[in-house]
Amino acid sequence: MNGPMVAFACLAGLTLYSAWRVATAPQVTHAALFLAATFAGVAGLFFLLQADFLAAVQLLLYAGAVMTVVIFAIMLSEMREVESDARGWRSLLLSPRLGIVPLVGGVGLAAILLSAYHRAAPSWPLSPLPAAPDSTRFIAHALFHAYALPFEVASVLLLAAMIGAIILTRTEGGAKG
Amino acid sequence: MIAAQGIPLVAFLAVAAVLFCIGLFAALRRANAIMVLMGIELMLNAVNINLVAFSRYSAPADAARGQAFALFVLAVAAAEAAVGLALVIIVSRRRNTIEVDKIDTLRG
Repeated sequence: MNGPMVAFACLAGLTLYSAWRVATAPQVTHAALFLAATFAGVAGLFFLLQADFLAAVQLLLYAGAVMTVVIFAIMLSEMREVESDARGWRSLLLSPRLGIVPLVGGVGLAAILLSAYHRAAPSWPLSPLPAAPDSTRFIAHALFHAYALPFEVASVLLLAAMIGAIILTRTEGGAKG
Repeated sequence: MIAAQGIPLVAFLAVAAVLFCIGLFAALRRANAIMVLMGIELMLNAVNINLVAFSRYSAPADAARGQAFALFVLAVAAAEAAVGLALVIIVSRRRNTIEVDKIDTLRG
């Protein structure tokens, strides 16, 4: 085990453990906090892949902005302690809607993907190529030259989503709901 | 700086695959609409890991292409979270529940 491998194992463990807790934590607030830990773990994986800019954006946007929105939604929907999600393993395994179907779907897809990876892995690279010295410059170049139009469309999408969210949740004054 | 030297590509892909499946499991299993959205965010994150890993391991000339694509995924995920959670808030106001099984007005 060399240094990068240890770092990778720690980050992968953090990501997957907190993701599992997101799926199984009985309280929504706990699941939200574990979701923040998952986002931090994914940001660490980006950093390990030398995608510094993307790691920073991941921390700012996901662990910062999206988490804030999720916490606000939990607060505003006044469903802080959802008891119906606090099921035991026995009832979880017996109920088709909440046990068998998601479990078979998740485990089955994981088995298919991992066996396909296992078969294809020998032809895949074992070590990354030399990285660009600063990824930010290359991303900026890509965004403003090759992908200028998608970039503008994404900004329009974000503006539309922002206006839509404001209009949807507004109650007093104008159109209701 | 810690780089990914010595870590095979398949390790990142396996982590992303398991993360995606956990997200799918969460989105299918959870009764709470907010938790379903959290599962979808997990799946989008897994896709981003795949994009960045593939661009890092196999595209030397323009490694930024995968990262730019991941940025677009991030933007779409942010828009989806904003609108989705706004919808959850309205539903909770009008129907007093955000359990996805109880929101069945359009069920035939």
